[in-house]
Amino acid sequence: MQVTFKVYRKDPEKDGKPGRSNYTMDVPDGATVLESLFKIRDEMDPSLAFRCSCLRGHCGDCMVRVNGSSRLTCTAKVSAYTQKGPEIALDPLRNVPVIKDLVFDWDAFMWNKIRAVKPWLESADLPANGETLVPDAAMRDLRKVMSCYQCGMCDEGCTVLPVDFDFLGPAALTKAYRFVFDPRNQDKKERLKIVEKPKGIWDCVHCYEADEHCPRAIEPTKRIVALRDEAFRVGITNDKVARHHQSFAASVKESGWLDEGRLAVESEGLTNVKGLMKLLPTAAKALTRGKAPIPYMHTKRPDADKIKKIFEKAEQVEK
Amino acid sequence: MQEFDVVVIGGGVSGLRAAIAAKRAGASVALISKSHPLRSNSGLAQGGINAPLGKDDSPESFAADTVAAGDGLCERSVVQSFAREAAKEVLWLEQAGVPFNRDQVGRIDRRRFGSNSRSRSCYTDDRTGHIVLTVLYEQFQRLEIPAFEEWFMTSLVADGGECAGALALGLRSGKLDSFAARAVILATGGFSRMYAPSTVSIGTTGDGQALAYLSGARLMDMEMVQFHPTVFPKGQGLLITEATLGSGAQIVNQQGAAIQTQSSSPRSKLCLSIAKAAQNGGAPVALDLKPIGKEKILSFFPQTHELLRSVAGLDCTKDLVPIYPVAHRPMGGIETKASGETSLAGLFAVGECACNGLNGAGRLAGNTLSEAVVFGKRVGEAAAAYAKSAVKKNFPAAKLAEEEKTLAALASGDSSQDSLRAVHAELGGLMNEKVGLIRDAGGLKQALDGIAQLNERYQKIKVRNTGRIYNYELTTHLEIGAMLILAEVVTRSAQARTESRGAHYRSDFPNPDEANWKSHTVAKLSQGSTQLEKKPVAN
Repeated sequence: MQVTFKVYRKDPEKDGKPGRSNYTMDVPDGATVLESLFKIRDEMDPSLAFRCSCLRGHCGDCMVRVNGSSRLTCTAKVSAYTQKGPEIALDPLRNVPVIKDLVFDWDAFMWNKIRAVKPWLESADLPANGETLVPDAAMRDLRKVMSCYQCGMCDEGCTVLPVDFDFLGPAALTKAYRFVFDPRNQDKKERLKIVEKPKGIWDCVHCYEADEHCPRAIEPTKRIVALRDEAFRVGITNDKVARHHQSFAASVKESGWLDEGRLAVESEGLTNVKGLMKLLPTAAKALTRGKAPIPYMHTKRPDADKIKKIFEKAEQVEK
Repeated sequence: MQEFDVVVIGGGVSGLRAAIAAKRAGASVALISKSHPLRSNSGLAQGGINAPLGKDDSPESFAADTVAAGDGLCERSVVQSFAREAAKEVLWLEQAGVPFNRDQVGRIDRRRFGSNSRSRSCYTDDRTGHIVLTVLYEQFQRLEIPAFEEWFMTSLVADGGECAGALALGLRSGKLDSFAARAVILATGGFSRMYAPSTVSIGTTGDGQALAYLSGARLMDMEMVQFHPTVFPKGQGLLITEATLGSGAQIVNQQGAAIQTQSSSPRSKLCLSIAKAAQNGGAPVALDLKPIGKEKILSFFPQTHELLRSVAGLDCTKDLVPIYPVAHRPMGGIETKASGETSLAGLFAVGECACNGLNGAGRLAGNTLSEAVVFGKRVGEAAAAYAKSAVKKNFPAAKLAEEEKTLAALASGDSSQDSLRAVHAELGGLMNEKVGLIRDAGGLKQALDGIAQLNERYQKIKVRNTGRIYNYELTTHLEIGAMLILAEVVTRSAQARTESRGAHYRSDFPNPDEANWKSHTVAKLSQGSTQLEKKPVAN
């Protein structure tokens, strides 16, 4: 079958401007996108740059976008992408600095962020009997998380990274999870303090795109939520976030729904004059546009007491 | 120019372990790796890492199994010290963060694997290599060792019979640089990409062995190339861990009848019986994982299940998986002592690129990762100690300019219309057919002629891409050059060994020849040609 590959190009040793090259070739049945790229480089254009290593779905190095979706080229069959026509677009991942052609900057995209979470176990010395006894259940969860082959698909799908490239992102935060929840790790608190800083766990908007993208069902969003809960549990959370959560819960418990005015004020802190002043323009705009009733009154919703009971029950369970 | 006490080349399990050990021993260390370390071939290891941790097990039993698999060519003292240290290294890995599967009481679980007589393969599902590699890289980062990732070694620098460092090309910067070192550790992996198909990653091309050989180091037991019995052989070849056999999977014919019940045979014997069954019946042989049970497949072999689906389009909880023996890992490599010292002063080697006599003529399943960590640590420490006592070497600065010229020459002049990929594919087919599982004098002669012809064709192919940044045409060119050098050594060594032993099966000499061949084959380059000699196994 004749297929045209429309490949993203950029050459830092020439003008460095992005472009696209088309390569048309006969593709045998069952061929992968990676095999086609090899053929292009060998027979048509030796300057084409793309990464790969394991050749069979183990390592994550050959991740690019195939017709817009991120895929490992070594397992992506050409025939799966030609149903709408014999053309396949190949691009680097979204929102990542490109170095040359399909080779992008993994350092900036992921490795540097993983390094920022202090990615190693701080463990005590060997116990006298030589091995740490731990139940398999605790290890099973870690094995699942560590099956991550750093393909970057979670970061590629993340909806925060396109607006804030400095966000640590789901891959690095999932790496942090692996240490925080390892019973052998000795510095859980310190690790939580790292990811709890701005650009960390609180910047996740829990859109669940990372979970949708992860080819190994590691559920990075779930891991980020677990890190947040753990931060709360050990009491090292950022004040503003803690106040936000407390106010949110208190409001729903008391009235059955959210009092947004109260949430804004309490999140900033009642004694935080500077923070409260910052809210004024927003409040003024809301008032002039009819988004806030005058006088500002927050009423209970019907059956609010039933909601309160749910809260009380949950609080009992937590105790 | 960069300068360190110890420079480690290769970022797989051996290289990372060596770098960690050398750093902890007080040396200044750098790591050079042509791919990102987490993408290295070690990550493909699946089934387990051997250590005699069971109550019914002992270093003696482990050593005996290792020696039996080595079929007469193991160096006993190397095996014994290895068997004594393996448990300690596995416990170190546990402490460093490997989430090993646990038994009922929370101890590291072990499973039966290959021809081990005890359950001694510690494992993390079927991703043991991936996770051991990940944890070593974590600890490597902890020590803040400078890492030159995606740097390709182009030459070793030897001066006055001593290794003084290496030259490497930064793929990202496109710049060549010198790395002066009191000690260089090669941990560059195997060379199974000279076979097609094979079970290995794209970079497993023997660069380290070839450069060491060109610099005067000797290669040992190069004819010993282990084939893996249970590989889905289409496309690039997808290995299915032998641990599946230990868990109940069966090797069957197309009708589903078991053809091989001795799942604990050494790999070489399993491979031959699969090849024989396929020839006799003319029908493909398959692996039936169904006896393991769906639930157990999904919990203990999740990656096998996932990759068979994505690579082969098979659901191994229901479908039979066609298998055939495929080139896996060489036992042979750069001749070293147990400390990793090679015949070239200042040059050390460890892991799959090295040959210290641990594996003899056949590697025991589950020993690859144990070897990598036990000797990684030992060689890292030995190199650090050597660096401490060695006088500072003179790094010939002119080498860098010479290397620039050599690389430029590869890209100058007219190239033939031939292709690197074609040369590589033909080499792979030739090695698989003539220097593969079953060999004979006629085939080996044809292989040598074929390699010579391929080499002639290779010399006429120029690098057409004149850029330097991420020039994979250039690195591929260098890798194929390395494989052609080593393919000749493998074939000549196979030609010389007129007997059958371990992974080396000669249909014209089907029996072992204890009187004449209880020896290693050692190859060295002398005036441009390969000289072979025998080296008796020390007992």
